[in-house]
Amino acid sequence: MPISLSDTLHNKTGTWRTFRPIHKNKLPPCNKKCPTGENIQKYIYLLLNKKYEEAYREIKKDNPIPSITGRVCPHPCESKCNRGEFDEPIAIHHIERFLGDYGLELKDNWEIEEKKEKIAIIGSGPAGLACAYHLRKKGYKIKIFEAENEIGGMLRIGIPDYRLPKDILDKEIKKLQEMGIEIETGVRINHPLDLAGNYDAIFVGTGAHISRKMGIPGEELDGVISGLEFLKKLNLGEKVKIGKKVAVIGGGNTAIDAARCALRLGAEVKILYRRSRNEMPAIESEVEEAEKEGIKIEFLTTPVKIIGKNQKVSTLECIRMELGEPDESGRRRPIPIKGSEFTLDFDTVILAIGEKVDLKLFENIETTSWGVKTDQYTRTTHEKVFAGGDCVTGPSTVVEALGAGKRASIAIDCFLKGEPLPVIKDKKPVTIENINLDYFERKKRKEPEKIEFNRRVNSFDEIWLRFDEKDLLEEAERCFSCGVCNRCDNCWVFCPDLSIIRNEEYSVNYDYCKGCGICARECPRYVITMEEER
Amino acid sequence: MKIFNLPEKENMRPGHLACQGCGAALAMRYTLKALGEKTIVTIPACCWSVIDGPFPYSSLKVPLFHCAFETAAASAAGIRAGLDIKGLEDINVLAWAGDGGTFDIGIQALSGAAERNENIIYVCYDNEAYMNTGIQRSSATPYGAWTTTTPVKHYKNRPKKDIVAIMAAHRIPYVATASVGYPDDLIRKVEKAKNIKGTKFIHIYAPCPTGWKCKPDDTIKISRLAVETAVFPLYEIENGYKYILNIKPEVKKPVTEYLKMQGRFRHLTEKEIEMIQKEVDFQWKRLLEKCNQN
Amino acid sequence: MKKVITGNHAVSYGALLSRVEVIAAYPITPQTQVVELLSEFCAEGKLKAKFVKVESEHSAMATCIGASAAGARAFTATSAQGLALMHELLHWAAGGRLPIVLANINRAMAPGWSIWTDQNDSLSQRDTGWMQIYCESNQEVLDSVIQGYKIAEQVYIPLMLVLDAFVLSHTSEIVDIPSQEQVDRYLPPFKPKYKLDVNDPHAFGGLLGPDHYMEIRYLLQKDMERAMEITKKADIEFKEIFGRSYGVIEAYKCEDAEIIMVTSGTVTSTARTVIDKLRERDKRVGLLKIRMFRPFPSKDIKNVLLKAKKVLVVDRNISYGLGGIFFEEIKSVLYYEDKHIPIFGFITGLGGRDVTPNILEEMIEYVETHDKPEEPILWKGVKL
Repeated sequence: MPISLSDTLHNKTGTWRTFRPIHKNKLPPCNKKCPTGENIQKYIYLLLNKKYEEAYREIKKDNPIPSITGRVCPHPCESKCNRGEFDEPIAIHHIERFLGDYGLELKDNWEIEEKKEKIAIIGSGPAGLACAYHLRKKGYKIKIFEAENEIGGMLRIGIPDYRLPKDILDKEIKKLQEMGIEIETGVRINHPLDLAGNYDAIFVGTGAHISRKMGIPGEELDGVISGLEFLKKLNLGEKVKIGKKVAVIGGGNTAIDAARCALRLGAEVKILYRRSRNEMPAIESEVEEAEKEGIKIEFLTTPVKIIGKNQKVSTLECIRMELGEPDESGRRRPIPIKGSEFTLDFDTVILAIGEKVDLKLFENIETTSWGVKTDQYTRTTHEKVFAGGDCVTGPSTVVEALGAGKRASIAIDCFLKGEPLPVIKDKKPVTIENINLDYFERKKRKEPEKIEFNRRVNSFDEIWLRFDEKDLLEEAERCFSCGVCNRCDNCWVFCPDLSIIRNEEYSVNYDYCKGCGICARECPRYVITMEEER
Repeated sequence: MKIFNLPEKENMRPGHLACQGCGAALAMRYTLKALGEKTIVTIPACCWSVIDGPFPYSSLKVPLFHCAFETAAASAAGIRAGLDIKGLEDINVLAWAGDGGTFDIGIQALSGAAERNENIIYVCYDNEAYMNTGIQRSSATPYGAWTTTTPVKHYKNRPKKDIVAIMAAHRIPYVATASVGYPDDLIRKVEKAKNIKGTKFIHIYAPCPTGWKCKPDDTIKISRLAVETAVFPLYEIENGYKYILNIKPEVKKPVTEYLKMQGRFRHLTEKEIEMIQKEVDFQWKRLLEKCNQN
Repeated sequence: MKKVITGNHAVSYGALLSRVEVIAAYPITPQTQVVELLSEFCAEGKLKAKFVKVESEHSAMATCIGASAAGARAFTATSAQGLALMHELLHWAAGGRLPIVLANINRAMAPGWSIWTDQNDSLSQRDTGWMQIYCESNQEVLDSVIQGYKIAEQVYIPLMLVLDAFVLSHTSEIVDIPSQEQVDRYLPPFKPKYKLDVNDPHAFGGLLGPDHYMEIRYLLQKDMERAMEITKKADIEFKEIFGRSYGVIEAYKCEDAEIIMVTSGTVTSTARTVIDKLRERDKRVGLLKIRMFRPFPSKDIKNVLLKAKKVLVVDRNISYGLGGIFFEEIKSVLYYEDKHIPIFGFITGLGGRDVTPNILEEMIEYVETHDKPEEPILWKGVKL
């Protein structure tokens, strides 16, 4: 009887192959979209495995203040989340906050190899803090100079408590100080090069703090206040007097924040914005929240004159607008409609039409019409001076500033070591077409709870509660993990040739893989690519 | 983040001779995972009589007896009897046959074994034609399909034999359909069969890229579509009467999605596809009725 | 213990005493009594065997094959159409080297339907690789089942014992049924070298390429050759325990015979009486009974026949287009001998027609009066 005496392992069926599968992680769109380059997919993966601390440390690699971005970031990551095209994007923002808060309770045990070089950072806002953090990790000695008496820049003066409680900010700052970052407050630096003698490099992250004027009659009246001024006083605990009927002019984040703060102070608030909802630069969800809280928005409306009574604001004369051709910002330009003037009665007017950068700081350094001129690595025209954040871009987001600070840290490190700068590659992220949707069921996005409505509009208490852990995990489970292996095992499960090797990472046993391609096809997340055999 | 939870242990090795993307190879892999190493397999003429590997090699880690084409069930019954008389009742006996060896040439022995309620697991891995001999039609070939003996001008013009109903009519304790596209369901069924005494018949849908004229990486996708279109529903029948539907698609997909992936259906006109759709709908309705009557 | 039993029951007793472990059988006249009695043995618990009541002879052999591969002693019985249906699996059993024992009741092949004896069913299976033993009496039938396992399990080749329909199968004779203790002494339990064993897994009968096939078949032939000596040894051992033996052939009154008649099956018994009668008339005639057909006892046959002047072969079978099958085999055995012996091939008794002493006597008369046969086939009893 012919009986088998050995197995088929001698038969290397890999020779049949014309295409070979390769496990190669790709770039998820969320990671790509995050200005500070958070590895979002990875920390969600760690979270799902209940490795909360590791997940926190993963964010912390790119983001020095996750509990803050977890609260205030407009989360561009979510806007590109492939899941958004399937049902709803992953609540990355809330996940980040959960992990950030989790991290606040942990001690960061840094093992820093000290370098001798000293770096000065001007401004303790998000850009400065990020630059300081990343450079400190590399061992540089850091000193931050802050003009105000308190640390945090726009984080402290620009963001209301209901979005970012001060104790959270303080805790994050404390963590940074524990790394050995020195911060001196109440010191105004007149020019970055003033520090050039004592420091090897200087990073400028001074922000955009000059409120724009409207240039209409009545701006000097009592009861007219700039949005940033209003927020700053409020945030620093100073007394602010406002009336019962408040108009907020503008459509950006400052306008929305100011309006919602005024509401919380007991006023009836109306926002006047000269374009339509589509053009509003403010974070969309913030606008929606404001409206829910009872703030009315008059679109396509702008004041032409502030009328006072006894030097006090009493009435706004407004005009209706229509949208014309797009302007240089890409948004459609508002054009006044002749004869559409009308009046509205207010006792307080908050002007929040934008902030400018104080360019006096940058004498002898090249600037643009809105800020300091830098390249994508944050290098200014002076080799020792680097800049990032709002002072370069004009008013923007915290996360953009964090990204700039991080890029600056790389540029400064290279500069000090005399090394060439890394090439920034524009990698194509994974798209929804790459995802094998057969493996996903439509499922509603989970979010944490908010505090009760009445409490919300009558106090500065933080609106969002922390994610319930069960909901958090359910939400994390919705993540496609676009382009990144999360050990779903599918390649192994469906391999007819038992040719998937599962070690720390998955790989293919090319001795036997016949190249059928099932693994690539059935990978839910486009990790495996089929490449032609040469 | 596992989607399917398969037993870890492999009772099969690579180096086997299955074509790229072979559904039958996967079917064996899953089945042996479920049955474990205390299993003896008998295989009649079919793709697997080649896949396992030429003398003196074998890709299986369990004993394998190659038997004559029409004898899978009878051979299994013999092995069972031989083991039982030696007191080895805990060893699984698996008859592993293709659709030709089951629907056609082997149906007599299968019917005999089922009627006697032999304590065996009979798996028909169905690739819907005589693939090993070069894609000739079998009574498992679906209506409309091209094969080398049903050329496009005279495609198969009779429906696939309802082997599951035939087996259920024997009133054996367990009959089930399964698919390589649903490995966890497949494994659950084989494990269930393992723990039932008597004849267990599992009909496994196993795409053949070579014979179906599809891409080798389509195997799993097509398997899923077969279930989602109700061309090959997944269900169980206990004791010949109790029907259990395992997967009910939320929205039944149109058969054309299934057909268009396979070259063997390429010649079909819209009208013919419509006919196939009607038949699938009708059979699906009947199945639902059977499942609900309990 | 002596008992008057039919040939069929002798088969059943043979299986019982051989302690067969798996029986798979399908009823066919004239074999039915074999399986009926075995069913009773199993039902009563006399025989601890699994009796698989299959739906066809094809499955019967397939089941025996499976059982044997799993290491069990397997048995079946059939006849004519049933044996023909098994044909494919006879190859499988032999190629698989599975020592199954099969009792075939010689019955003529249809159409038209016949249930009566001739040898075409078993001889059609000549080249399947099975050993074949043709029995003359019910005692020999019983003994041959037991000997069958003894031989088969030593050479891993299946064995078919053959008995004539009705003449043996349904005819009662006195049979000495040995004790179980005696049989156990003679026939040890079946312990194959290889079997389907989860602790030592192998694939049996996988794809055999041109590089290996011939060697596997060569080894089968070599074992067939070995089987001849093993059979003789088994027969001697049998005699030691049971006091009976049969040989692979039996030469009856051949020492000085000028004419030797060659027979198989129950014709032999009739021939014996004819030889005795002719001897009384001082005719120098002898009888050669061929018991073992495969492997063919060429040497033994030669040794007997070379002493004769003429040989006549009685065939209850025919290979259409040539002639009697035993006749042809015997001719080829003598081909290389210097001594040329005229051989007369008679065909008679097909489909159960009686082979009477007169017919056999007439054959001898023909041989006495002819130097050589007038026709390649000498038909005896055709009424056309």
